[in-house]
Amino acid sequence: MPRYAKHILFIVAPLVAAFAILPFAYNNQLLLFNFVLFLTLAQGVNVIYGFTGYLPFGYVGFFGAGAYGFSLLILHLHAPPLAAMGGAAVAALAIALLLTPLLRLSGAYFSIANLAAALALMQFISNPNLEAITRGPYGVSMTGVFNPRLAYTMALIVMAGAMLVAVWLRNSRFGLALQAVREDPVSAAQAGVDVPRARAYAWLISAVIAGLAGGVFAWYVTVFYPENVFSSDYSIFAVVFALFGGVSTILGPIVGVLILYGVYNFIGFSTPQYFQLIYGALIMALVLFLPQGLISLVKRRGIDVP
Amino acid sequence: MSPDDILRIDGLTKIFFGFRALDGLSLHVSRGEILGLVGPNGSGKTTCINVVSGLYAPEDGSIRFDGAEVAGLAQHKLVHRGINRTFQVPKPFMQLSARENVEVAIAYGGARQGEVDAAALLGSLNLDAVANRPAAELNSAQQKMLDLARALATKPKLLLVDELAAGLNPAELDWVAAKLKEFARSGMSIIVVEHLMGFIEQVTDRVVVMNAGKEIFGGTLGEAVQDKQVVEVFLGGGHAH
Amino acid sequence: MLTYSLLAGLLFGLYFSLVGLGLNLVFGVMRIVNLAHGDFLMLGAYCAFWLYTLFGVDPVFAIPVAFVLFGLVGLPLYYLLVPRLLAARDPEMLSIILFFGLSQVIEALATIAFGTSEQSIPGGDLGRALREGWGRLTGHEIESGPVEIFGQSFPSAWIISGVASLIAVALVYLYLYRTRTGYLTRAVMSRRDEALATGIDVNRVSAIAFGIGIALAAVGGVFAPFMLGSITPAMGVDSTVVSFAVIVMGSLGNPLGTVLGGLVYGVSYMLVQSYLSSWANLLPYLLLIAILLVRPSGLLGKRVRLA
Repeated sequence: MPRYAKHILFIVAPLVAAFAILPFAYNNQLLLFNFVLFLTLAQGVNVIYGFTGYLPFGYVGFFGAGAYGFSLLILHLHAPPLAAMGGAAVAALAIALLLTPLLRLSGAYFSIANLAAALALMQFISNPNLEAITRGPYGVSMTGVFNPRLAYTMALIVMAGAMLVAVWLRNSRFGLALQAVREDPVSAAQAGVDVPRARAYAWLISAVIAGLAGGVFAWYVTVFYPENVFSSDYSIFAVVFALFGGVSTILGPIVGVLILYGVYNFIGFSTPQYFQLIYGALIMALVLFLPQGLISLVKRRGIDVP
Repeated sequence: MSPDDILRIDGLTKIFFGFRALDGLSLHVSRGEILGLVGPNGSGKTTCINVVSGLYAPEDGSIRFDGAEVAGLAQHKLVHRGINRTFQVPKPFMQLSARENVEVAIAYGGARQGEVDAAALLGSLNLDAVANRPAAELNSAQQKMLDLARALATKPKLLLVDELAAGLNPAELDWVAAKLKEFARSGMSIIVVEHLMGFIEQVTDRVVVMNAGKEIFGGTLGEAVQDKQVVEVFLGGGHAH
Repeated sequence: MLTYSLLAGLLFGLYFSLVGLGLNLVFGVMRIVNLAHGDFLMLGAYCAFWLYTLFGVDPVFAIPVAFVLFGLVGLPLYYLLVPRLLAARDPEMLSIILFFGLSQVIEALATIAFGTSEQSIPGGDLGRALREGWGRLTGHEIESGPVEIFGQSFPSAWIISGVASLIAVALVYLYLYRTRTGYLTRAVMSRRDEALATGIDVNRVSAIAFGIGIALAAVGGVFAPFMLGSITPAMGVDSTVVSFAVIVMGSLGNPLGTVLGGLVYGVSYMLVQSYLSSWANLLPYLLLIAILLVRPSGLLGKRVRLA
């Protein structure tokens, strides 16, 4: 059996099946939805950070763009939710195309510019002058399309798609080329890779994943404010989960989300500042003691991790 | 341009912050020829390789390769046309295995499907034992060979070799020299930038001596050491070999 | 209104230079991004607030206290975090995540200690002790009211902040260009690897720069109650973003370019406030992106930072 088939059969399929069955056994549906959402976002971060080395500190910009892309089609064109999901993808894609020049920047410059772009987008959308179009700071309400079961199913489909992208990158020439670009762009170009184009593709794919996640989030909650869908928590959580598990693998981001997000919800802090304290300390410990993620513990023993 | 020439450079100029690293350089390379590029430090040898391989665009001048003007093309496009190079300090894809390093170049370098076999290529450069190890774990001589393998995987018609010999022991040097001659016999043209004059003497058919971004001498190494200007430049630059 | 905006912009610009200065010093020397910069500014602000509230200390005297206190915090913090970070693969990227974690820890601790309510210090009390001292010495009391420049009146706190910022920048300049450690610091900034090879104690030089960077943030915080309005434990993030905008505009890694960045930012901020106030929040971000894309090395920078 080829490697990618094994990865689909033994990683993607069980994961999707588990989250398809869990709602029947476990009644905290919102928590399950959030798990699916973060699995998707962490894998999306993996595409751009794990495979190209660009740390998207404003990743939430695509998530928010997707949420608004979805909502505007519902609010103004009364589109059916399925078609509006297309709007989510297109909105994220458009923003990503607009921001493609940022890929010319390297290292921290890219991350900072990306963060600024996400914040600018939020300020723009929540500006009271645009109330007629975006509802400005007053938020979006689309109670007419409220259908959490269908939205959850869509979230599963989006997550499966994100996982398949990771499987593809892990097993394809293109994924290998991206990693080569990450390791050394000059040598990669000298191997014949069109470096700017390879980066741009990874960027756009990663953006569409976040955009679809944002769209499905908007559908699931139907009522939200700009600061909900542009909360930098999404960027940070997604990055930290992916990093905790270990990027540039399929399994790393999955393990990261299941363990870290699981632990957070298991402990359950009543006061947000204690949560923030422990969370912050954990991030620091992660960077200092396990910068390559949990997966690196296994890899160190010479075991190849999918 | 003689039909035998694979590469002809005319009036090539590259300026860094007002400094003319290449100042109207002209040279040519025939098919199957090994040309040595020598000169004191800072004479523009590596800059020449960097411009021909597309790392920098030249300010002026022409680079005709295989019958077409290629000056200013992007690196990967030049790779597809058949120009490749090695680096003085190789930067392989550290986290990828040696085999994957070569596979990227096979997949993207423009060679026809099945034309290059990764295992055979690694074997021919004595890398078969480390094929599945991450490049980061290879020693510096092995990393140089891996860099060469990456270049060869794209089936270049012109190979630019930048200081390949530095850091190799005498036995390895002889072996590399034999390899380069073998490539040339199969029709590949090669430009060798090198400080070790023994190595230049061993492999090249002809040398171009550079100083201050220009050619000051063209001919065999034997003739070069008789040339007054060349001797002066080398003594002045402290390279009296 | 134009004169007012320009002058106020210059005053704020000087202040913003101070806000960004420490961040730029740290990036310049260590090539790491201190995402907790704004949180040290917030702590400096609380330092001034508590000295004022508990002991009635004029915030002007909180400046040396904050500088020394946070300089001393910065040194051990450097040894705790940075050498380990620099040993990792891709420290520049990881620094963003590491210091984000630190920022969360500081914000959480500050919230637990100080609560979430907004605090402030009356503007007239900045420099009150100095004015009274001057009055006792010379017999001429200086009024604490607004100061007139070119027929425009500004709160005296703005003037004091602006002047103090200018002095801080001058001191950093003197440190970098007139002291031996400063000379070594510039050597590390231009080529860290070569500095290591020549036997410079890079760790010591970096630790001092890190301490100064954090101390400068705290000093900027002393003026925050007057320049940024009220203070809260959550103000750090915004301050960090503003600092970034300022230093990227000036030139990342060149501390003195910060002044130009600060002035450009301050003036454009005030102009947008006056003429386009509803879009003012968008400004720092758009300015940051535009400058990064159009002139990636900053207004004063030479260093190339393209991928």
